[in-house]
Amino acid sequence: MSLPLTVIGGYLGAGKTTLINRLLAEDHGLQLLIMVNDFGAINVDASLIEAAGDDMIALSNGCVCCTMGADLFLAIGDVLDRDLRPDHLVIEASGIADPAAIARVAIAEPDLVYGGVVTVVDALEYDRLSNDPQIGAQVRGQVDVADVVVVSKTDGGAWPEALGVAAVPLAEIDVVGPLVCGMTPAQVPEGLATHPSYVRWHGTMRGAVERSDLIARLEARPVGLFRMKGFVSAPQGRVWEVHCVGRQVTVKEGSGPLGLVGIGLSGRVKRSQLDNWWRGFDL
Amino acid sequence: MSDITVFAADKFITMDPNMPEATHVAVRDGRVLAIGDAQCADAWGPVQHDDRLKGATVLPGLIEGHAHMMAGAIWRYAYVGYHDRIDPEGKLWPGLPDADAVVTGLKDYAKGLESDAPIVGWGFDPIFLTSERLSRDHLDQISPDRPIAIIFSNFHLMCVNSRALEMAGYDAGTNVEGVIMGQNGRPTGELQEMAAMFPIMRRLGIDFRGLSQTPEAIRAYAKVAQRAGVTTITDLFSSMEDEDVDVMLEVTSGDFPLRIVPVLGAMGDPATIADKAERLAKRSTDKLRMGAVKLMTDGSIQGWTARVRWPGYIGGQPNGMWNTAPEAIYALCAEMQARGIQMHIHVNGDEAAEVSLDAIEAALSAHPGQGHRHVLQHCQMMDRDLYERAAELGCCTNIFSNHIWYFGDQHVALTLGEDRAHRMDAARSALDAGVPIALHSDAPVTPLGPLFTAWCAVNRRTMSGRVLGAVQCLTVPEALYAITMGAAFTLKLDSEIGSISVGKRADFAVLGDDPTGVDPMALKDISVLGTVSGGTVHLL
Repeated sequence: MSLPLTVIGGYLGAGKTTLINRLLAEDHGLQLLIMVNDFGAINVDASLIEAAGDDMIALSNGCVCCTMGADLFLAIGDVLDRDLRPDHLVIEASGIADPAAIARVAIAEPDLVYGGVVTVVDALEYDRLSNDPQIGAQVRGQVDVADVVVVSKTDGGAWPEALGVAAVPLAEIDVVGPLVCGMTPAQVPEGLATHPSYVRWHGTMRGAVERSDLIARLEARPVGLFRMKGFVSAPQGRVWEVHCVGRQVTVKEGSGPLGLVGIGLSGRVKRSQLDNWWRGFDL
Repeated sequence: MSDITVFAADKFITMDPNMPEATHVAVRDGRVLAIGDAQCADAWGPVQHDDRLKGATVLPGLIEGHAHMMAGAIWRYAYVGYHDRIDPEGKLWPGLPDADAVVTGLKDYAKGLESDAPIVGWGFDPIFLTSERLSRDHLDQISPDRPIAIIFSNFHLMCVNSRALEMAGYDAGTNVEGVIMGQNGRPTGELQEMAAMFPIMRRLGIDFRGLSQTPEAIRAYAKVAQRAGVTTITDLFSSMEDEDVDVMLEVTSGDFPLRIVPVLGAMGDPATIADKAERLAKRSTDKLRMGAVKLMTDGSIQGWTARVRWPGYIGGQPNGMWNTAPEAIYALCAEMQARGIQMHIHVNGDEAAEVSLDAIEAALSAHPGQGHRHVLQHCQMMDRDLYERAAELGCCTNIFSNHIWYFGDQHVALTLGEDRAHRMDAARSALDAGVPIALHSDAPVTPLGPLFTAWCAVNRRTMSGRVLGAVQCLTVPEALYAITMGAAFTLKLDSEIGSISVGKRADFAVLGDDPTGVDPMALKDISVLGTVSGGTVHLL
């Protein structure tokens, strides 16, 4: 199975590290490898730390957090060349970087799969920053390329007026793992599936389907279903590996237990919408 | 045997106004002991005479203040650029003026390779092409079987053949930004930016890290330098992990002919970077000088990624991009100034230069101190007012003069227009404002060769032969000073190198002719016979 890559973007101080700290500490059952710019800001409960060095910490839940070193793409290559790959790779983009320029490698590289761009926006600062004559264009660009926009510092009802796209307040999500990494059919604990922040959906398909038909249907899915993955029968006994994040649909040959799981955020998508969409598809 | 060696030459041009010329220089313990005639060192005891430099004109070892170590090891790949270029072994690689020439050139090159070995080329620049774009169809003519990748000179693009596309899984069904598709619906072979290039680089074993931190890369860098008369060179954005430093210390020990100044790339938390710079400084040796940091601010002008002040680019392109946010530039400047760490700051566009000067000014207000010698690097669009501010703030500028020849015509036509192109790389404005200057090549972006760089600053010719901004031309002595003492000053090494003065390192550039005697237009044609580094002769 290809290694999913999620990129966390957002301007300096937006709250990327807050999101990463929560991701590291959660009991999501995934062995995550998280590459960050500023190792010093990583802050997890000491009782969770199994091993720590100058540029990495390993946690008892199987997560590893490390600095990416001088060259991000070389670091990605090193991860792919390991005997034991993590379940999911998460990269923190630098505050001024275009997260899509990094995430795109997951579409290009056959051994990776696109896990999406999650852009974090500061509720108190975004309106000013997005209109700044020097950096406004780059700050707005980080939002434009996001599959999911998360808003931090919304306490007291703050909200960035200039945002102009649907976004999720970070404070309202009790577990961030499904948002950033999704979940795999085999690994998701049942408790998480019924978590109040998320709507979980799963479907199976009886017959085999052509790639182009599959892609067309996946692209027509309700927008609130922001992550979906799994395996679908292909003609001649083959199997399609499916990954959907935001607007990105990836279908390639793979192997695994047939079935698809998806998640959306509560309040943004209803089970009935999903079932209606799927019913038309279940051949 | 005497421990004093007296070198004789046709002429030593010392760059020291107290003794500007001499016929003999005496050396002891790798340092200049005396300057004058054949008897200049007799007062110091018995001497031995060395005639190996006889007939040559000798300058202080030339100093390249802005280059990258990959300029040496990049030659493991086949050069396919537009201009003639000479590799570390002295072999001439003729320039390839169009896509067909690239095909012919690489067909010849392939004859020396095993039948399935990949071909990797570098240095190709489509900005000089008037013919059609390079495509997979051209490269398939070289070989349909072995993978071929041509890395463009900016390292942001490449073109690959059908076999390489197949290895990466790129086909008509690919939908990746950066994988360029042709009108026939299949990839043209051109790949833009790292994400799209990554699957090819991984499968062809193209490793940019190996171009700068291996013993071979460091030795190749020294060979390139020796051919250019350079005895001190920077590596201006180095990652330098502890094990890299171990390798560099090992390779540069003994009679290594080059002093390397690796400058730590500053991306991320300022205090962490400053801590690392301080640790590195403590490991410095004579031949390896660490402790300074390099800030990236904007991109490049010819890539339309430099941050430019009003009225922007003549084609109406958006105003570039920051590689470090202005507020992060402020934070880095404040930390480095507070800690007494010298900064080299990449500024191509004039807005980037302005923001950097603002940040240095703020840092100096918060942490006053003299002698910091922070260096603005490239300075391509700085005009009089920015140079005046640089002077007020005690900054140096290292000017990218090679651009005038390589890209001057393109800057007139495509990026800035006639008027602003006249004041690009404005070395005269800098000197008038009283700013210390150096001149640089940014090798491997343009070839290492301080005499050529000086020629650019003196003559300001473009590839089409015109003079671009005659008012900004330097005199030959000014340009020679900039590539010796000027560069030494920007590296805070002017007490040790940069001139042939008593007490300084015996670092010399050995030349086939007198740069102050030839027509200024012939400055670039003067042959380099080799170098002397710490008194040890390294002739080619």
